[in-house]
Amino acid sequence: MLKLLKEVFRQGDATVKYPFAPYEVEKDFRGRPEHVAENCIACAACTSACPANALSMETDLAAGTRTWSISYGRCIFCARCEEVCPTQAIRLTTDFELAVANKADLTSQAVFKLADCVCCGEPFAPAKEIAYVTALIEANSGTNGASTGAEKSSEAERRRRLLSTCPACKRANDLQQIAQIAHRQEKNR
Amino acid sequence: MKMDTPADIQRMKTSLLTNIRRSAYVYRVDCGGCNGCEIEIFSTITPVFDTERFGIKVVASPRHADILLFTGAVTRAMRMPALRAYEAAPDPKIVVSYGACGCTGGIFHDLYCVWGGTDQIVPVDVYIPGCPPTPPATIYGFAVALGLLEQKLTAKTHIEGEGERVGMAYPELPYNLRVHVEREARRMAGYRQGRDIADRFLGMLTIPGELPLNQRIAALISKEPDPRIAEIFLRLGDTLRGGELSA
Repeated sequence: MLKLLKEVFRQGDATVKYPFAPYEVEKDFRGRPEHVAENCIACAACTSACPANALSMETDLAAGTRTWSISYGRCIFCARCEEVCPTQAIRLTTDFELAVANKADLTSQAVFKLADCVCCGEPFAPAKEIAYVTALIEANSGTNGASTGAEKSSEAERRRRLLSTCPACKRANDLQQIAQIAHRQEKNR
Repeated sequence: MKMDTPADIQRMKTSLLTNIRRSAYVYRVDCGGCNGCEIEIFSTITPVFDTERFGIKVVASPRHADILLFTGAVTRAMRMPALRAYEAAPDPKIVVSYGACGCTGGIFHDLYCVWGGTDQIVPVDVYIPGCPPTPPATIYGFAVALGLLEQKLTAKTHIEGEGERVGMAYPELPYNLRVHVEREARRMAGYRQGRDIADRFLGMLTIPGELPLNQRIAALISKEPDPRIAEIFLRLGDTLRGGELSA
């Protein structure tokens, strides 16, 4: 009996103190995904990776906005969004205290502006995404190709214009160019 | 006298919450879940989390229950049994929607046979998200349901500011090298830890100074207590020395 009591006292109390004391979770615990909208380029990679459709992206062409939203109620905390995010804007925190009384509080949103196409003026892609892609391509194609400064700047200008053109206008422009080339060749013959 | 108008039920619920001087009995209704939530509920009543110290007790009949705990995405077959359990519980009752499936239908939300959430069939008081919610999350949810703790999550809307731009990660490193390190780290350590490891490795590469790669990696490894992560750092260094990064 004494031996048993001694063992019981040695083992101590197994029950955790939560909720009266904070509960320590593992460093790699997958809790609430934290979205830093300042770092998000609204590329929608996370929304296509999300297996539960907790993340969604809605484009409003009339208002020229794209709205990113997450429903914590649908999230299964798999961290696929964290994996695919190119700018590390979304990251799972160790926060597990998610219970709410009002279902609307389970949703978090971020509204991004769409950039207008330089040719037709219609909104077609998030402005932040275009700026990010332009910066990325410029950083990677700095040295090769054009040699003089003027050539380089005109090349950069052409590329920037191309990136801010919507796919429909790109196709139309391509067709026009092809038609012009064909016309010229026809003349030369 | 019949007392089942919404105002009556709200008043009774408030008085139940303020005047409860006894245990809160919980009846668990499974509306077609995968049993992951059930496992977490039963680990919540184990001695480690011990909800019975707050008087929360799982009972076998809805007629004894104060709190109904709905798990699962509400399938077509389990809709009527769930409604019967709801009707059988005496008023006032607190309805808790448990797990991602209970809150919104979760990963099954667009299935043909799924109603998509407890709130589609009965009025819900508290939502506990998670897939499944961990025992501490469950305890927190019950504390919110019984009015002991305040909810922490609130709806947020961020509007893009003027001139908000995103910079590139590690602009001082070549793009190919950064992508290669991130891919290799994820290949070796899995998609979640791989990113942290790649971040630490790239952070080490960007420390200014003329130190050669070998010594940088050696310094990183000497501070790393986990031999598995140290091995990954070593191998990342090897891939950088190899000719794969000619571009």
